[in-house]
Amino acid sequence: MTPNVNLASHSFDQILALLVFLPVLSAIALIALHRAGWRLKRLISAVSVGILLLATIYLIVSGAGNTPQVYPMGDWPAPFGIVWMYDRLSGLMLLLTALLGVVSLTYAIATNEDHRGAHFHALFQAQLFGLNGAFLTGDVFNLFVFFEVLLLASYGLMLHGGGAARSKAGLHYMVINLVGSTLFLFAVGALYGVLGTLNLADLAVRIGQAPSSLYGVIAAASLMLFVVFAIKAAAFPLYLWLPGTYAETSAPVAALFAIMTKVGVYAMLRVHGTLFDAHTAPASLVHLIGPWELWLGIVTLIMATLGVLAAMNLRRQIAYLILASVGTLLIALGVNTTESIGAALYYWIHTTLLSAGFFLLADIIRRSRGDDGWRVLPAMPRATLIGGLFLTYAMGMAGLPPLTGFFGKAMILHSVLDSHLMGAIFAVVLITSVMLVIALARSGSTLFYRVDQQEQAIAAEKVTATALTAVFTPLIIAAAMVLFALPLTSWLHGTSNQIKDTSVYIRHALNPAVSRLHTHEPHEPPTKSTRSDH
Amino acid sequence: MSILFASLIGFLTAAGVFLSLRAQTFPVVLGLTLLSYAVNLFLFGMGRLKTDAAAVLGNSASYTDPLPQALVLTAIVIAFAMTAFVIVLALKTRAELGNDHVDGEDDASANEQGGPSA
Amino acid sequence: MSLLNPIVLIVLLPFLSAPFVAWFGGKRRRAAAWAAAAVTLLCLALLGGVIAQFIAQGRLADAHVIGFHWMPSIGLDFAFRMDGLSLLFTGLILIIGLLVIVYARYYLALQDSAARFFASLMLFMGAMLGIVLSENLIQMVVFWELTSLSSFLLISFWQHRKEARYGARMALAVTGFGGLALLGGVLLLGHVAGSYNLSVILEAGDEIRQSPLYLPILLLILLGAFTKSAQFPFHFWLPNAMAAPTPVSAYLHSATMVKAGLFLLARLFPVLSGTNEWLLLVGGAGLITFLLGAYTALFKHDLKGLLAYSTLSHLGLITLLFGFGTPMAAVAAIFHLINHATFKASLFMVAGIVDHETGTRDMRRLGGLARKMPHTAALAIVAASAMAGVPLLNGFLSKEMFFSEAVDVAHEFGSNWALPLLVTLGGVMSVAYSIRFIHDTFFGTPSPDLPTEIHEPHRGMRIPIDVLVFVCLAVGLFPALLVGGLLTLAAGAVLNGPPPHFSLALWHGFNAPLMMSSIALAGGLLMYLSRRPLTRWHENSFGRLSARAVYDRLMALMQIAAEAVTHRFDQGRMQPMVLWTTGVALIAGLIGFLSYQAPLFGNDSLAAPFDALTATGMIIMMGTAVWVVNQHRQRLFALLLMSVLGLGVSLLFIRFSAPDLALTQLSVEVITVILMLLALRYLPQQTSSERDPKDRPRIRRDAVIAVLSGVGIALFTYAVMSRVYDTIAGYFLANSLTEGGGHNVVNVILVDFRGYDTFGEISVLALAALGVYALLQGMRLPPAVSSPIASGRIAHAQLLQTVTRLLLPMTLMFGIYILLRGHNAPGGGFIAGLIIASALMTQYLAQGIDSSERALSVPTHGAIALGLFLALATGMGSIVLGYPFLTSAFTHLHLPVVGDVEVASAMLFDLGVFFVVMGASVLMLTQMAKLTRVEPTAQTSGQVAK
Repeated sequence: MTPNVNLASHSFDQILALLVFLPVLSAIALIALHRAGWRLKRLISAVSVGILLLATIYLIVSGAGNTPQVYPMGDWPAPFGIVWMYDRLSGLMLLLTALLGVVSLTYAIATNEDHRGAHFHALFQAQLFGLNGAFLTGDVFNLFVFFEVLLLASYGLMLHGGGAARSKAGLHYMVINLVGSTLFLFAVGALYGVLGTLNLADLAVRIGQAPSSLYGVIAAASLMLFVVFAIKAAAFPLYLWLPGTYAETSAPVAALFAIMTKVGVYAMLRVHGTLFDAHTAPASLVHLIGPWELWLGIVTLIMATLGVLAAMNLRRQIAYLILASVGTLLIALGVNTTESIGAALYYWIHTTLLSAGFFLLADIIRRSRGDDGWRVLPAMPRATLIGGLFLTYAMGMAGLPPLTGFFGKAMILHSVLDSHLMGAIFAVVLITSVMLVIALARSGSTLFYRVDQQEQAIAAEKVTATALTAVFTPLIIAAAMVLFALPLTSWLHGTSNQIKDTSVYIRHALNPAVSRLHTHEPHEPPTKSTRSDH
Repeated sequence: MSILFASLIGFLTAAGVFLSLRAQTFPVVLGLTLLSYAVNLFLFGMGRLKTDAAAVLGNSASYTDPLPQALVLTAIVIAFAMTAFVIVLALKTRAELGNDHVDGEDDASANEQGGPSA
Repeated sequence: MSLLNPIVLIVLLPFLSAPFVAWFGGKRRRAAAWAAAAVTLLCLALLGGVIAQFIAQGRLADAHVIGFHWMPSIGLDFAFRMDGLSLLFTGLILIIGLLVIVYARYYLALQDSAARFFASLMLFMGAMLGIVLSENLIQMVVFWELTSLSSFLLISFWQHRKEARYGARMALAVTGFGGLALLGGVLLLGHVAGSYNLSVILEAGDEIRQSPLYLPILLLILLGAFTKSAQFPFHFWLPNAMAAPTPVSAYLHSATMVKAGLFLLARLFPVLSGTNEWLLLVGGAGLITFLLGAYTALFKHDLKGLLAYSTLSHLGLITLLFGFGTPMAAVAAIFHLINHATFKASLFMVAGIVDHETGTRDMRRLGGLARKMPHTAALAIVAASAMAGVPLLNGFLSKEMFFSEAVDVAHEFGSNWALPLLVTLGGVMSVAYSIRFIHDTFFGTPSPDLPTEIHEPHRGMRIPIDVLVFVCLAVGLFPALLVGGLLTLAAGAVLNGPPPHFSLALWHGFNAPLMMSSIALAGGLLMYLSRRPLTRWHENSFGRLSARAVYDRLMALMQIAAEAVTHRFDQGRMQPMVLWTTGVALIAGLIGFLSYQAPLFGNDSLAAPFDALTATGMIIMMGTAVWVVNQHRQRLFALLLMSVLGLGVSLLFIRFSAPDLALTQLSVEVITVILMLLALRYLPQQTSSERDPKDRPRIRRDAVIAVLSGVGIALFTYAVMSRVYDTIAGYFLANSLTEGGGHNVVNVILVDFRGYDTFGEISVLALAALGVYALLQGMRLPPAVSSPIASGRIAHAQLLQTVTRLLLPMTLMFGIYILLRGHNAPGGGFIAGLIIASALMTQYLAQGIDSSERALSVPTHGAIALGLFLALATGMGSIVLGYPFLTSAFTHLHLPVVGDVEVASAMLFDLGVFFVVMGASVLMLTQMAKLTRVEPTAQTSGQVAK
């Protein structure tokens, strides 16, 4: 049984390879030319990101991911070699990454943030390399490796520019993630130790066949893995690293980091979604993760909302808004129906793009007002324009119409109508939304209305039109997401169908026919391969 | 033998966790290194312990499981990179904050907890 | 259906026009007003066209629905509905909107931004029209929230005033909250009815009323309606919203915003009404608000304050009517809704004129204006009488209907006299405050400090009032003729069926309602005359309570709680973070094991045989681990112990047949230790002691966590190792030589089977080097401590130098040899790279920076780039040949010394690995070592491109 859809077309293969290796190539060039002028560096970086965006859009439009596509590294078939798995979900994540890349790079260049330290562009490209690799891989250990790639790049970017507060937050960020990586290895190692494989699909199959005596180890390892992803996703009580990190780093980096929490959520959806899906996993393991996601999501949402109210400046407030959106996402994932995941994906795109743009806007406010805290200060230049932008972003993030936030929340609420926790979810989501509205209304009226007439305005930094375009872009996309909700939501519904139907994913992943050279039967077929210990 | 091996990993982990909970950067770095020792040995142990069975074809009758070894090699190098970076980061915070406390507090209040940090 | 359908256009035009209005206003202030007016007129024309068309078709009475799918996944359609009710409201919104625009055109002062004002007004108008014309309830909620937002902009128009900001935020908080509750209610409603479209829902009344979800649905939807229509206990935002410019109040708080809640009650009347819960909740809230509003209005000194509370009272009256739930009551409600819109809008405009001309709205200072502005006074008197329910005016008619409904309903509840009494009392009070509004403003004696030259306002400000007052009169005189049809139409839509028979006549004979009206008029006059004692009594009784204070308290509490929780949990400290992470991981693993009845350990018979030597080795390592903890304050010593552990680890690797690992571990160890030594020079040599007693509990806690994790991991390890497993490894052993072309399976896995991992891993190393480089740029460190060992300058440097100089070429050779044989024997790119790096480093340390830099200036960035490129190119090569990334090929080759080797393309890859490892290590080491040289002050941020 070798469905030929599985043998990906050539051009497709090359685009996929481009997505991952073009950033590396640019990074290499940037390292080699690290003494070259900044114009050249910017050019390389920008061109690379631009091509990435086009490529990801093409992949989505071409519908390549409508059936999972397999790319066998070194032409070794799964489960022996590492494979890339490209499906709609990975496609979506790649697109989001490229979009954020464009937005945040534009802003970084427009504000000369990239000058404030060495190797910004190289690290930036490496970050994209790590992200794309993580979104494509179908192998858990390889996922670990690419987590490390994107993390190390993110450490570099996060610390870019230096400064006391930033270095401190950076230290916290790195140490927590080092602990997380250790945990990751323990979990993956244990899974291999009992199941003898690393390929995600193969793991799913073997869990399905595993004797119940192994459930303990499998569950323990998988829950530890869940903790690792929960650190990345910043779920309660593991989000403590996030507010400092996002509030202290430079604006373009914070904007790019909007994807980082989603890496964690993606990993939960991908790994645990595949390992413990009802199609393959034993019944007693199917509900291993869902309840945790749901409850952690609820608590995260509440705590984050309190944080938004308590935040002492806009950047920190946005960091907590990101946490709130993570909570909302986890709730939808925890409910774990095709509808709820489809809704989650819509909200997912929304929150990723808007929180990125919001961070940039906060930076613009800080530059033109001198501070993004709640002190009463003289009116800022172009207050009407910037205020309008703030209002739009605030509405979007708090979940008021007409932007995507409202529709995302409405979809999620609609999708949980049949859940036995419907009451609790409704109460929490709606009440927290009100509190967010209150908090943001207060911030807005403090930042834009309560102006100090006596004081003379400080000489505000000039905000270039390019910087503003970077802030406008997410809003435009969000508006399009509302106007063209019909095609978008149906596409997302199809995507969540694909996510939920893991049997297809597994069948494609483990199809030996993907490799062209090593097509002959292995000397020992995987299923009855000799036990290593004789 | 595996029991001893397992408890060794346990010891390393315990030591690592305790040190990484200290209040100054250097012990934390030591703790993380200990943790990486522990996890590398753990990964290695996932291939089970076999003597005189190096996975070099033609050298012995039976071979150990080579895959975990490859993973450990990768893990070692990544851990090395991370350690190097975190050491320098420790220096960086020392330079920026003027002391080597993980939260940049001076040694007087170095080790107490509670109360929001400014 | 197309977007060009007139009904859709009526909603969309105001939105689309808003930016243009703003743009015009930017050019010329007046332009904004006229543009807004033009749009409103256009919408009115469209409405007229629609009506004419329906009449022509003879289908005016039925509901006309148009729409298309928008978000089918949640049943959200983009759909509109034009029936009697929406027709009535559309007309109301547009006509009064037009008058308000004209009024505001002359009201706004020069410094007010006309652009912002009229643009926001257009947004608000569009949102209101959206509410009343929505067929799909979720879509209605969208517009609902939009009214909250645009009203926020309008109320906060004079943003420099604290009251305006406060009032706007309060209005947004309360109505926004209601809107979200409404969303919840609508979602549940649609869930029960099976659709969010009114046409379906309105037919599903019984189903919904019987559903177990009925009560939650009712509560949530009423939350929406009551917050919007300022019903008790959510009434307090309305008076605070009076900080808005008067035209805004005239529009939002008479005809539109606050009527949205009533519209919702009317819209869902067939579905939700007719139950005891409905009667109790809606009737109760209505009655309380009716009385409370009227009572408070009596004692307000601010004209707008009085009007605000009287608005509350009238909204309560209408709510109460809906609460009765009878068809007749519904008709009365609609009728009073129209009338209130007319007289209240005109009264607000009058208040605006007074404020505009005299500069105050305080009735204690005002007076005698009738002489100065007779025309305005006349208008005010008529409007106020309508509000009071004086015969021959529209207010009288609807109030009569209200009274008679109250009587009838009271009858149903066994000739209950309380209700009629209460409503009459309400009537009395409303007469009293109406008289006060007129008398204190236009008659009596003004306070001396009032400006003397007061005159009639500009015609533009009067005409709108003329129109409205004319309507009050006309409707009062010829009700059946003028509003009979409209009322029938609207009532039909509200009841979703044939409206009851009602007669709109001035004279129904001597009956209870007439009696109640006359009592109200007489009593009202009396009450006004005795206002002084009343006021005094009020001020030392109820005057003290205020709902606003409760709201403030709630907000403050929420804030305090938020800050308490947040600052307690998120202290921005690292130790709690690490603690939580470890703790949670521990718990996760524990739960994983405990939730399944599986044996903790397996029974693997084939564990490695026990041998004393290895055992002692491991026990020594355990001891050392403990020792490190015990000695960690003596940093240098702890470091030495660490390297002992590292050595032990590599020995274990050798013992258990992993030569490659052993070699790698060793060389990594060397470099790590050197790095730490270099770092130690800039860190305290001791960790400050934690002898302080207050630290004890924390240390104990950490120790417990640490031990638990240790035990947990140990058990975890053994749980896995004691089990047999079935692995894919066989494939690698089988194919390493034939397919990978190498004897050393581990290396083949690294560079071929899983070469992609390796590629990621060398990128990590390269990134670390770059990161280190970037971090160290312009770092300002305190001068280094010079402890003999830490200084990295070893004694007898002379001897060492010669030795290293001799050793260097040999180590280089050895490194290359290791690299080449890697594919078949233990070795490979990593090890080679690390060996050479450490060789170079020894050189470095022995000779000091300068000389060795001259001796061997390794272009580290270049090496890293080259290495990565080699690895990447190897992989890409196969893509060019049409195979996936990193597909390998190999051949045999005979070399001297090394002997017969398979040369695999993978070895090129390995060469890349070699360069990256070498370059990265050397870069990090040299960067660190450089610090020893450069004086902190001399360090400038070299890399900053400027």
